[in-house]
Amino acid sequence: MAKILEGPAMKLFNKWGIPVPNYVVIMDPDRLAQLGEANKWLRESKLVVKAHEAIGGRFKLGLVKLGLNLDEAFAAAKEMIGREIGTSVVRQVIVAEMLDHDEEYYLSIAGNRDGSELLLSNKGGVDIEEHWDTVKRLFIPLDETPTIERITESALEAGFTGEIAERVAKIASRLILCFDNEDAQSIEINPLVIRKSDMRFAALDAVMNVDWDARFRHADWDFKPVSEIGRPFTEAEQQIMDIDARIKGSVKLVEVPGGDIALLTAGGGASVFYSDAVVARGGSIANYAEYSGDPPDWAVEALTEIICKLPNIRHIIVGGAIANFTDVKATFNGIINGFRASKSKGYLENVKIWVRRGGPNENQGLAAMKKLQEEGFDIHVYDRSMPMTDIVDLALNS
Amino acid sequence: MSILANKDTRAVIIGGVAGLNAAKRMAQFDFLVNRPLTVQAFVYPPEEGQQKEIYRGGELNNVTVYASLEKALEENPKINTALIYIGASRAYQSAIEALDVKGIKLVTMITEGVPEKDAKALRKYALEQGKIFNGPSSIGIMTAGECRLGVIGGEFKNLKLCNLYRPGSFGVITKSGGLSNEAMWLCAQNGDGITSAVAIGGDAYPGTDFVTYLQMFENDPETKAVVVIGEVGGTLEEEAAEWYGREKRRIKLIASIGGTCQDVLPQGMKFGHAGAKEGKKGLGSARSKINALREAGALVPETFGGLSKAIKQVYLELQASGVIKPEPELDEKLLPVLPPSVQEVMKQGDVIVEPLIRTTISDDRGEEPRYVGYAASELCEKGYGIEDVIGLLWNKKLPSKEESEIIKRIIMISADHGPAVSGAFGAIIAACAGIDLPQAVSAGMTMIGPRFGGAVTNAGKYFKYGVKEYPNDIPGFLNWMKENVGPVPGIGHRVKSVKNPDKRVKYLVEYVTNQTTLHTPCLNFALEVEKVTTAKKDNLILNVDGTIGCILMDLDFPEYSLNGFFVLARTIGMIGHWIDQNNQNARLIRLYDYLINYAVKEEREVPEKK
Repeated sequence: MAKILEGPAMKLFNKWGIPVPNYVVIMDPDRLAQLGEANKWLRESKLVVKAHEAIGGRFKLGLVKLGLNLDEAFAAAKEMIGREIGTSVVRQVIVAEMLDHDEEYYLSIAGNRDGSELLLSNKGGVDIEEHWDTVKRLFIPLDETPTIERITESALEAGFTGEIAERVAKIASRLILCFDNEDAQSIEINPLVIRKSDMRFAALDAVMNVDWDARFRHADWDFKPVSEIGRPFTEAEQQIMDIDARIKGSVKLVEVPGGDIALLTAGGGASVFYSDAVVARGGSIANYAEYSGDPPDWAVEALTEIICKLPNIRHIIVGGAIANFTDVKATFNGIINGFRASKSKGYLENVKIWVRRGGPNENQGLAAMKKLQEEGFDIHVYDRSMPMTDIVDLALNS
Repeated sequence: MSILANKDTRAVIIGGVAGLNAAKRMAQFDFLVNRPLTVQAFVYPPEEGQQKEIYRGGELNNVTVYASLEKALEENPKINTALIYIGASRAYQSAIEALDVKGIKLVTMITEGVPEKDAKALRKYALEQGKIFNGPSSIGIMTAGECRLGVIGGEFKNLKLCNLYRPGSFGVITKSGGLSNEAMWLCAQNGDGITSAVAIGGDAYPGTDFVTYLQMFENDPETKAVVVIGEVGGTLEEEAAEWYGREKRRIKLIASIGGTCQDVLPQGMKFGHAGAKEGKKGLGSARSKINALREAGALVPETFGGLSKAIKQVYLELQASGVIKPEPELDEKLLPVLPPSVQEVMKQGDVIVEPLIRTTISDDRGEEPRYVGYAASELCEKGYGIEDVIGLLWNKKLPSKEESEIIKRIIMISADHGPAVSGAFGAIIAACAGIDLPQAVSAGMTMIGPRFGGAVTNAGKYFKYGVKEYPNDIPGFLNWMKENVGPVPGIGHRVKSVKNPDKRVKYLVEYVTNQTTLHTPCLNFALEVEKVTTAKKDNLILNVDGTIGCILMDLDFPEYSLNGFFVLARTIGMIGHWIDQNNQNARLIRLYDYLINYAVKEEREVPEKK
């Protein structure tokens, strides 16, 4: 799953003939003045300026400004770029043409196991959730493309009339093409509008998720996925993602500010149960982390060092199931090195470490971990005979 | 009985090194349950025709790599299962090809990062063909006592600990690979072990689902209960609940669902599995799955920690009702023991192996190389130089400062002697012919022998002999040499003479005798010999080879090491010549005709062959 920003999504819309307003993405407000000289629409249209970042609730944060002329857009861009929102900074804004329109429509498509589903509504806009019952659905089986007549039928059912229904169907058919060919997982256009001046359609906003695993067959994907949790990735998360992209196996990290129990857990499945165990016992996690697929020790070491730096942590849960092929000795070696390096930099003071693991070379791995006690670590090591998530109970009861 | 994999399963592995590793693990299981090798063939075009060595216990098997599935099947018609280990970009095509083979009923894919579109298409295709496509991202399928597909179950020791050598009563279905192993362990600890375990993979759209396998387990009389481990995201768990609740089922269902923590975590957060993501409005949440399963009559502990107790409870109930009749445990001592490798046995001290070679000078088994025991970095840190490393590796001794200095100077003055000499010239000709550095230097090196540079060893050897046998009898020595050896090695020069002395010799002799405290019996003897020989003929001087040979003997180097100094020194020069010619882009050279005396027969007709 990979969410992409509005700019790259609009670029893909253009590629597949889905009309979008004129827009530019800038990092430097001064560039806007230059672009104004080159583009008539920037000088003559009303403009909208939006922070081009994965930040949720942009409207409320004042990161969307509407109805501006070029000078006002410049001022808005200048004001937005560099603004700090929580732990993130606005680095880009998208400046788009504001289209005068009456109606707002809703059009989206999302994949499911058997194909995909097209959603249409003539009551789009910010209140779409309230009109969810007006949304008409058209199931599209895998490898099938509905005829324009069939889509028009759905558009008529959704309340579109006459020529508009036909034109919406045409855009929807292009949306289906874009979805299929770009390995998309979901695309949402809200709102879709008709510009009063020339009665042409345009998608004013684009929310798009693509299948990042399919990037090997998309030479023109020049974007990077952005965070889906309403804030941009932190530096540490970005660092782990970069490592993840380079290695055999995987390492993953999501920071959860405010928690005091850090997770350094193995396995996509087991790591979730460790998070559950902490939450179920009233604890709060400081992060979600996972390594699996026998990653190299240096990658696990990097993950360890980042986790040791999380603020205000009291426990680190080094948990995992009985591995099939991840070498416990080798991955623990990375963790041990990470612990040592962190301790020498002054981290891990008053932090208790809880270990439970099994798998290839488990005896050597656990013995090496246990030896850290002699180096002054507050570490508690258990083998497979300890039920998997019980170290969380031990940690919270200590 | 079992599901999916059994005694008759014969597999082909499509993919490279990861597939080979899986095949090795699978053969360990084959050994444990005493069945023939499960993996019959590999398909991996880059390694077509290779034979992969697979040990089933102590028995070495060679498994062929084929370029195509078709060829693999042609020669191994019993194959009925395909394991896909190839990269994500080729996984789809490989799986389609496997599904197209009539005899292959099951295709299971471990490849991770397969595009969702491909996975969805594969699921549909398999359904249309009436076959099973398991995965992507599946660690594999295990049937206790019968068959292992993939690395599921981990190392050999774990196979025994999880009682996988004989069937039990529990089925296992998980999304996660690690948890499939954990669940097998829990079933062995709290029950009598498993019949079969399947990992379906944690992707958003796995090729199969819980229901398919639940139905298979329901139809398998040996399976009395099934443990399902699911997680947030998708609707497979809800479908399993719907299936279980729809009618009275023979099997007991125990489930554990991960992702209840989602309630307190950021909306939209992703876990380790691609499929583990809650949809809009709580769709596919762990909580809704738990509720659905409980309503359908499944036993769902609140947390994963409660799974042990739940399995135990079901096991005891099934025992009490007579559904499971406990069988006496096998004596673990009767199970086969994986033959250890030579290294492992040696570590335990149970075997003696006669070494093939012996070394007395260096060892890099530790963190860094050690020369005769000294760490290389420590030598650097304490100010030792390359001369000292030579002393250690050639003579196992650290030279004194004075001795090091002599060694250094010998190498310095011997490093090169211009392009005209045999060695340098050979290297230059090779360089001009476009030959690479090591080969070009070797070309120069092959010139070193009796006429070029090779006299150092013999000079040292015979002057040393002279010191010992004819200490005060130069004529006696020369006579002995004349009778037994011939010309004295180290004496005589083509151009240099008493009147035109070799400056290098003069310098070395002067330096060693006047500026160092080295005791030089060999050199002194050679200088006495020179006095006698030059009296006979002007150019019978002590040459540079002789001088160096004597000094090195006086430095106590072994006599057969002496030529090494010439070889080492000239290597520096020859490398220099090679670099020099390359820097200049030197072109191929050949001798001019006027440099050759063509002492050949006149042109003539070739006679008819008789």
